Amino acid sequence: MFKKILIANRGEIAVRILRACRELGIQTVSVYSEVDRTSLHVRLADEAYLIGPAPSRESYLRIDKLMDVAKKSGCDALHPGYGFLAENAALPRACTVAGITFIGPSAEAMEAMGSKTAGKQLARRAEVPTVPGTSDPIENPEEAQALAQSMGYPVLLKAIAGGGGKGMRVVPNDAAFASAWRDAASEALNAFGDPRVFLEKYLVGPRHIEIQILADAHGRCVSLGERECSVQRRHQKVVEEAPSPVVTPELRRKMGDAAVRLGRAGGYTNAGTVEFLVDADLNFYFLEVNTRLQVEHPVTEQVTGLDLVKLQIAIAAGHRLPFAWETITPRGHAMEVRLYAEDPDNNFFPSPGKIISRHVPTGPGIRLDEGVYEGWTVPMDYDPLLSKLIAWGNSREETIARLRRALDEYTILGIRTNVGLFRRILAEPEFLRGEIHTKWLDEMLSRPHPPAASPRPGTEEAVLIAAALWHSAQSNVSTPGGAEPQAAPSRWKMEGRRQQMDHMP
Amino acid sequence: MKLEIQITGASGKRKHIVELERKGDLCGVSLDGQALDADAVQIAPNAVSVMIGGQSFEIHVSRSADGTLTLQCGPHEFSAEIIDPRAWGGRKHGAVEVEGRQEILAPMPGKVIRLLTAEGDAVEAGQGLLVVEAMKMQNEIRSPKSGKVERLLVKEGQNVNAGEVLAWVE
Repeated sequence: MFKKILIANRGEIAVRILRACRELGIQTVSVYSEVDRTSLHVRLADEAYLIGPAPSRESYLRIDKLMDVAKKSGCDALHPGYGFLAENAALPRACTVAGITFIGPSAEAMEAMGSKTAGKQLARRAEVPTVPGTSDPIENPEEAQALAQSMGYPVLLKAIAGGGGKGMRVVPNDAAFASAWRDAASEALNAFGDPRVFLEKYLVGPRHIEIQILADAHGRCVSLGERECSVQRRHQKVVEEAPSPVVTPELRRKMGDAAVRLGRAGGYTNAGTVEFLVDADLNFYFLEVNTRLQVEHPVTEQVTGLDLVKLQIAIAAGHRLPFAWETITPRGHAMEVRLYAEDPDNNFFPSPGKIISRHVPTGPGIRLDEGVYEGWTVPMDYDPLLSKLIAWGNSREETIARLRRALDEYTILGIRTNVGLFRRILAEPEFLRGEIHTKWLDEMLSRPHPPAASPRPGTEEAVLIAAALWHSAQSNVSTPGGAEPQAAPSRWKMEGRRQQMDHMP
Repeated sequence: MKLEIQITGASGKRKHIVELERKGDLCGVSLDGQALDADAVQIAPNAVSVMIGGQSFEIHVSRSADGTLTLQCGPHEFSAEIIDPRAWGGRKHGAVEVEGRQEILAPMPGKVIRLLTAEGDAVEAGQGLLVVEAMKMQNEIRSPKSGKVERLLVKEGQNVNAGEVLAWVE
């Protein structure tokens, strides 16, 4: 097993990996940019090194600096997390050169499966059904437009190197083609340094269902079942759950077999996700492979009882997978919501800032994966994901009830968040019936807001009293019922307590 | 102590008089001159527990850059403006003139595009201190009180985060 792992990421996923390492008794090394000095992944790490200024291009995307840190600190493995360099084959290559194990697939498998066009070619070879479209990037916009006309609108433009909805445009008709092409290409260039895009037929109202696979270096490749991620806003997943409300054991087996076939064909190792679009008749079409850990991996962990990060590390260390596909059946139900620092009243525009105070939910069936804390300033330079709130229960109904309860307990002050959006989604009758598709949330948001439940009697009075009490405590004149000014702690007492701690085993 | 509070919630804007009276660890409350069967305790720096006739409420409080309070009670959000009688003399147009050194916070992430004052300048309440551009909109950040610009902590062209201290007015 590894002695020390470099975590080439930040935020909640860096913290998630760090925790797995700690449970395995592996030392951790974090990296950080100038604005992340006080971030949780730096505070919790055994070692942490500054790798540059805030822009990720000058810090988290610098392979040379990562390799310097890995060598200097004596790491024997590197975990890329998701985002940043996680799907850049140059990183596993650099690791190989530096003699460090990359926790993920080989550079070759990453290239054979990760790029959307290569993945599609591989899927065709592995007899996995695909959505009609080009499998090669198109250089010439006129040629692409002609193809779109022959395929019939709507069509979808997608960045070759894409992910997270960046460099992606739906083109409803011929008139909109030219400008959509320009937008997609320039967005792709900015986000991934590669302007190439390709074209495919756009399915109306499909579900997004993905299969988690794990493959070890000894030829065993298994499916851990599906995640339903149909609730999306502008191609960004917002709510994820496992199992899917529509997937039957038979469909699960079929999709799992297809994903495993693809993994085998691409010589894949480690954790990966095969994404599918599923139409109303439950036909599934290969969409793309994510050659890394997914943001939404916790829902699979909750219904399988497995720790995917620890399994990733074990696979990278050459261990065999200790189970076969037949032994994996989802137990109960799990659901995740992604809490973002964004302003729901301002079109979900990022709203970073200082977290003045917060209260987080706990209790049965609740898990919170996050990289934030009270008093921390959410930097404006990165994805404003705050926390992933995950609930699980015996049934979908119980899970939703727990999630609602947890959202009511969750309070955060100082920044705007999308908590209210989830309250609304989790109350929508269509969502409760599982009647969702990838456009469902955009449609829901375009409908007028349902009137919010009015507060129970007494709320306004209570708020007035709280405002008065808080104000008077703050202005520190007379503090009726407020916190007493604390006496300075006695040095003698502190020292005595410290010495007692020293005697603890 | 007696405070006049203007509260804004989903159902509109209202003004009330709240009076708090300390009774041991708790405090007695009267609202608009009427005694309530209620008590309130501050349970954390930003949280207050209120009981009214056995009904339990927990309210989270924070002060925004312009001095108004944001209060959350479960999913419900209110804002409140406190009209403190001790400051009545100085207030203008219904706004509260604050006392003491004030930190001027950036209300949103953006870029400082213009400084309108320099350190040491005397300013009136409501006078523009600097201009922050966010999302292509220019926002003038105004002084909450009359006094002197003690420090300016930002430069023209500097990017700022929401909640970052821009200046101190003494």
